[in-house]
Amino acid sequence: MLIVDGVSKVYQSKVREKLWKTTYKEVKAVEDLSFQIEPGKIIGLLGMNGAGKTTTIKMCTTLLEPNSGSITVDGYDAVKDDRKVKSLVNMIAGGERMLYWRLTGRENLNYFGNLYGIKEATLKQRIDLLLKEVGLEDAADTPVEQYSKGMKQRLQIARGLINDPKYLFLDEPTLGLDAPIAKHLRSYVKTLAKEKNKGVLLTSHYIDEVEELCDEVYILDKGRLILHDTPERLTASVFKENSLHIWVPALPNRTQKELEKLLRTYHAKMEIKQSIDLEEIEIIIKTEQEITSSVLALLSNHQLTVLKLVVEQPKLEDAILHLAERRIG
Amino acid sequence: MIGWIRLFLAELKKEHRNMFHSRLVYFSLLIWPVIGFITSYYSFKPFSLNDNSPITRFVPPDHLVLFLLTGYLAYLFFWSLVQSAWQMGYERQSGTLEMIFLTPVHRLALIYGRSFSSLLESVWLFFTFVIMILFIVEGIQVDGWWSFPFAFFILFISAVIWGGFLNAIFLFSRDAGFFYTILDEPMLIFSGVRIPPLAFPIWAKGLALFFPLTYTLHIIRMLVMEAATFIEILPSFTVLLVVLLVLINISAFVIKKAENHMKQTGSMVLF
Ligand SMILES: Nc1ncnc2c1ncn2[C@@H]1O[C@H](COP(=O)(O)OP(=O)(O)O)[C@@H](O)[C@H]1O
Ligand SMILES: [Mg+2]
Repeated sequence: MLIVDGVSKVYQSKVREKLWKTTYKEVKAVEDLSFQIEPGKIIGLLGMNGAGKTTTIKMCTTLLEPNSGSITVDGYDAVKDDRKVKSLVNMIAGGERMLYWRLTGRENLNYFGNLYGIKEATLKQRIDLLLKEVGLEDAADTPVEQYSKGMKQRLQIARGLINDPKYLFLDEPTLGLDAPIAKHLRSYVKTLAKEKNKGVLLTSHYIDEVEELCDEVYILDKGRLILHDTPERLTASVFKENSLHIWVPALPNRTQKELEKLLRTYHAKMEIKQSIDLEEIEIIIKTEQEITSSVLALLSNHQLTVLKLVVEQPKLEDAILHLAERRIG
Repeated sequence: MIGWIRLFLAELKKEHRNMFHSRLVYFSLLIWPVIGFITSYYSFKPFSLNDNSPITRFVPPDHLVLFLLTGYLAYLFFWSLVQSAWQMGYERQSGTLEMIFLTPVHRLALIYGRSFSSLLESVWLFFTFVIMILFIVEGIQVDGWWSFPFAFFILFISAVIWGGFLNAIFLFSRDAGFFYTILDEPMLIFSGVRIPPLAFPIWAKGLALFFPLTYTLHIIRMLVMEAATFIEILPSFTVLLVVLLVLINISAFVIKKAENHMKQTGSMVLF
């Protein structure tokens, strides 16, 4: 069990630097945060940019020290027994850095494996296995500089698993990846938790990613925990409202009346926007239910051409605003 | 101990592939000291022709080549480490340094592993020099067969420790260019590569004390130019050991401080 207990982190960042005098500004990146990661469970940490997700991960992986509160990993303190904790955790960040580009994939893994002091035979076996699991067997002996973005990311994952960590931290792991690669990565993360019994914490700003993978979700806003729930309950309570945008050339009064009647039965809200050149009309419908087909049927009954249709899933930004309002109100 | 050896080997392999990927790198390592050696030799030559030139008070004319060769040889070793340590800054920028700090690897083992491996990369240069010294140059005076391996041992050990110190410094400093400049020409001048520190004015002698190369070079020259016995070098050797110990402690301190700084501020730039 990894236990984060009342942890806060304040950064002192330089604001102005004169020749002899520097002024500092304090940034509260994480405030009084508590959560736990059990082996075999995937925890999602959601939040917008600057919410404190990366800071949290760095504290859990001993790269940063909290200003207050404590982090214990299987009973070891992340500050006092940091060497021990380092061997139990690992971190994978999105992006293409953090690898030696002139080295091959295998050489990279071998180097980092040696830093963990893993026995030669074990290491060799593990590298072969990891390369296979992330699908880099064929590129194992190619220098990383010739890898594609997705391949580099997969090598990162293999690197993050080189010490067979009990707890794995993934910082926006699918950022900038193509959809199929991201999908593959998600299913791999799932196996890591469910089959290899690793405790996983992943940060993201995509709700669907978190919804698909996580057993529990924490939402951070400006360093503070604003919600802790299961993904199902989260989507049911916070992320339930879809918005449907429909563009039509015109909206006759009769059609609008009918539409309003239909939406009332579903308790949906409607907003109508006219484009500046008056050539099209945007109908925005906010609803918690699946009514796209009924709305389209109605429009086609009235011989209206649909120019464009967009279904928007709820945004994290909206949910956070909503939650913040609810806390205040 | 086995852990350290394995780390040294891993570091060696990685550095070899990562840094010494092209022949150009080896070439640039060699070319500056060689040019330096040649220009110094020819600029001293006119002065050293007669017996009452100032330099002959400290270096006998027939020893000049050997004097400069030992100087540039030791300088080459120390200098190759400055170059490789300078590359450390890139690791910070590319994020690999953070990944290294994520591991429980012994921090000192890391910097010495790195310095050890950059040194091995330039060992062939060393042998080129040694062969030149042995076969071309006159004036070698040694106490016995042990003087050569012992001189080599002293040079190697002090260079590794020196390199570890540089690695520690360069790892965490943004303005590595500043150190690079200090370690280039001043090290060449004040360590007595071209002119013996005995010939320095007093302020320069003081500066010489700050460069570990001064102590190393002094012993090496005693060993191969003055046929010094072990007893004779013992005092200088003791001083060198103390200097190296101090250097190890400073390196350990800098690394510790820098890692702490990183844990507090999230930034790896210490100064
Ligand atoms: N090294 C640092 N020094 C000063 N401030 C920082 C540092 N790293 C992050 N911050 C600030 O701390 C806050 C949280 O950042 P971060 O943890 O990176 O958020 P996230 O990963 O959720 O985007 C932000 O306001 C950010 O600007
Ligand atoms: Mg982040």
